[in-house]
Amino acid sequence: MIERWALISGLKGDLDTYELIQKDLKKTPGNITLFVLGDMIGPEKNCNKLLHRLINPKSNDLQPWCIYGWWEEQILLESGYRGNQRAEALRINKGEEVVKSLINAVDKSFLDWIASLQFGFVELDCGLIHGSSKDVGDDLTLDTPPLTLLDRLTRLQVNRLFTARSTQQFHLELTEGIVHSEVQDLAGNHKKEQKVPQKAVIGVGAGKNYTLYDVGTDNTQFVRAGYQLEKKKNGFGLHL
Amino acid sequence: MNQAVISCLHANLPAVEAVLKDIELQGITNITCLGDLVGYGPQPNEVIELIKDKKIATCQGCWDEDVVDGLDACDCSYPSQVAEKRGHFAHQWTTEKLTKENKDFLANLPYSIRKDKCLFVHGSPNSQHEYLLPDMDAFAALERVENAKAEILFCGHTHQPYIRELANGSIAVKVKNSGSKDIQKKEMNLPMRRIVNAGSVGEPRHGGTKATYVVYNDITNDVKIREVEYDIELTCKAIINAGLPPIFAWRLKNGFEFAERAEDASHVCER
Ligand SMILES: [Zn+2]
Ligand SMILES: [Zn+2]
Repeated sequence: MIERWALISGLKGDLDTYELIQKDLKKTPGNITLFVLGDMIGPEKNCNKLLHRLINPKSNDLQPWCIYGWWEEQILLESGYRGNQRAEALRINKGEEVVKSLINAVDKSFLDWIASLQFGFVELDCGLIHGSSKDVGDDLTLDTPPLTLLDRLTRLQVNRLFTARSTQQFHLELTEGIVHSEVQDLAGNHKKEQKVPQKAVIGVGAGKNYTLYDVGTDNTQFVRAGYQLEKKKNGFGLHL
Repeated sequence: MNQAVISCLHANLPAVEAVLKDIELQGITNITCLGDLVGYGPQPNEVIELIKDKKIATCQGCWDEDVVDGLDACDCSYPSQVAEKRGHFAHQWTTEKLTKENKDFLANLPYSIRKDKCLFVHGSPNSQHEYLLPDMDAFAALERVENAKAEILFCGHTHQPYIRELANGSIAVKVKNSGSKDIQKKEMNLPMRRIVNAGSVGEPRHGGTKATYVVYNDITNDVKIREVEYDIELTCKAIINAGLPPIFAWRLKNGFEFAERAEDASHVCER
């Protein structure tokens, strides 16, 4: 059976979208693993129902594998889970109201679970992270300098990095690269030529926009929640 | 014009004095210091006062930061638990010895100093605790300089002096799939950049026992690593008299190469 990953992020408390995605995935062929790359919570909506569902999946739900995202980091900061630091960046950029809304959107009983989430997963030669190996808020897009992308891949020692922070969907391949390095120290001179093996950074999208990744062929499919229903209605194929 | 860059003085007054003398003998007046004025060595106040006295522009080092902010350096900075214990002891000792005035001086040092195309930092532009070792991934090394918008990055922290030139680089990218843009390819040339590690004045770890620093000519772009002899015995005696771990004296005398080098140099402190 085809091994396929579903990568979602940025639900921000939206249980309806999550249910729609679960529905999609039931009809998507292959052996599917569901990764939730953070931002399960946000300040706009009450997030308790979604959190409850993620922690206690329904019997026919695909088991979600969650990591924390930027919004989770903000609530953990503000709730004292990061020592003396508070969510100052959020406070400065969006104001006190948003900080309050975020705190009100999540019941305190979920905080320990949020705090127990990992920063990222490494599966095969792939890194799955909300932002990047540098920071949960690292906003990688198609326009990020390739050197920066390469650095984020190198830090994790992976060939593919799945990221969600930018909310964009893209699959960018670093096809080749070379640099000449010459080091001079007290022992003499050492020259080296370094090449980049093929690597990629994949933006998985947010909310209704999510990504299906075919592990065997390295192909990505950017889809919108409800696409399986659409497919039926319009009869168009996605070549899954 | 020639300028001198020194780093990692580590409270070793005889070494600092010898290096400053060597710089003076070459008629160099422009000196930049990359931090770690204190830690390991027996004369923290004396070294700080000498740097203040000479008005040498200085960045904050990992030790300078930790002495002020409490011991934040993550354990990854140490190759073993014994080394970590010794490091903690030296930290405690230094904190107790430093005057309030000198602590304030360390607290107010900048993370980096920029002069035209040169950026001066202690560890890397990311952190005072990041090691830029000479054999670090070449692209990652280039990224540190590029991201800092510099042409030459001067750093210390590894205690191993080197000059690294990264040239003739290029990267090709292809958008394989995108929600909004068509498939496209582009290739870009990477600029030539250099990383210069100034080594260590007071705690050399390059295999020799001499103090090291670098001289940079901003007209010819030439960089030279200098080695300077100093009275090691004097420092060793002061270490023993101060009650600091004798191994600190032993490794100064023997130039033990990897005494405190981090095991995983690519590790970035996530504090
Ligand atoms: Zn140092
Ligand atoms: Zn240091």
